[in-house]
Amino acid sequence: MKLKARGTQNEGIPTASMADIAFLLIIFFMVTINFEVDKATVALPKSGLRFEIPKKSAYISVTSNGVIRVSSGEEISVPVPGPENVLSFAVDVVANNPGKAFVLKADKDVPYRYVDGVIDALKQARAEVIYLLSEQETVDGEDGGSG
Amino acid sequence: MKIKRDTISEEIPTSSMADIAFLLIIYFMVTTTFAATRGLDFSLPKEEQDNTPLVDKEESVLIEIQPGGTLIVDGQPKPLNTILDYLKPKLERNPRKPVIIRPNQEAEYGYMVAVFDELRQAKEKIGIEVKNVSIPTQREIEMFWY
Repeated sequence: MKLKARGTQNEGIPTASMADIAFLLIIFFMVTINFEVDKATVALPKSGLRFEIPKKSAYISVTSNGVIRVSSGEEISVPVPGPENVLSFAVDVVANNPGKAFVLKADKDVPYRYVDGVIDALKQARAEVIYLLSEQETVDGEDGGSG
Repeated sequence: MKIKRDTISEEIPTSSMADIAFLLIIYFMVTTTFAATRGLDFSLPKEEQDNTPLVDKEESVLIEIQPGGTLIVDGQPKPLNTILDYLKPKLERNPRKPVIIRPNQEAEYGYMVAVFDELRQAKEKIGIEVKNVSIPTQREIEMFWY
């Protein structure tokens, strides 16, 4: 009587589905990726209250040395010479979309006069909502004003 | 004599697919930046609210922010965490008591956010909302401050 050969065990790790898994991960990254329209590096102020900013909001960033960059939310931000250029930019954005939110991404250490110029330009342009971009305040974090 | 013929495989070679896919994953992982997408909202008066009455300086609470973060509340220096206690009795008498934040032009922006954030948290901290907060700009101060 002939004996059947024993089932031979494959010693290799099955890698046939590796590509499928990898592509699933790629799709996950592609769906969740959030393209930043403003790449300016700023140290954001901290706040206890934070609200979700609507997507495609217009961005105005102010770096610690006072460089102002603007983006309508559709394209990468570009530097502008001063607050008067922010006014013309904001007027244009509001004319195209009156309810559009503006995000102010300013460095916590920048002198207030730069931010004041930007807020004033937004007020004059009749912007309705401004978001002050911030980081979550933590228990051991600095809380801003001192005595 | 036997002649060997080259056999051409009919399948698309997929053995390197996983390598390519993992390279793409590494690219996405390296280039992904987690952007901050939250902040404090700050509503501005709408066009139709242009006839908003001017706030009488004497009726309002004035919070001045000095460079370095010193806060002067109605002329008195106060720490940030005592502002709401100072405001509480005033808000109990008048829930629409105007509060004006006036940062010095050279004060750091972070302190303005800290004060604004503290006022926005009044409901949770002292049980009364600060409904009427204004941050006039330098141009508005020069035009309307008297």
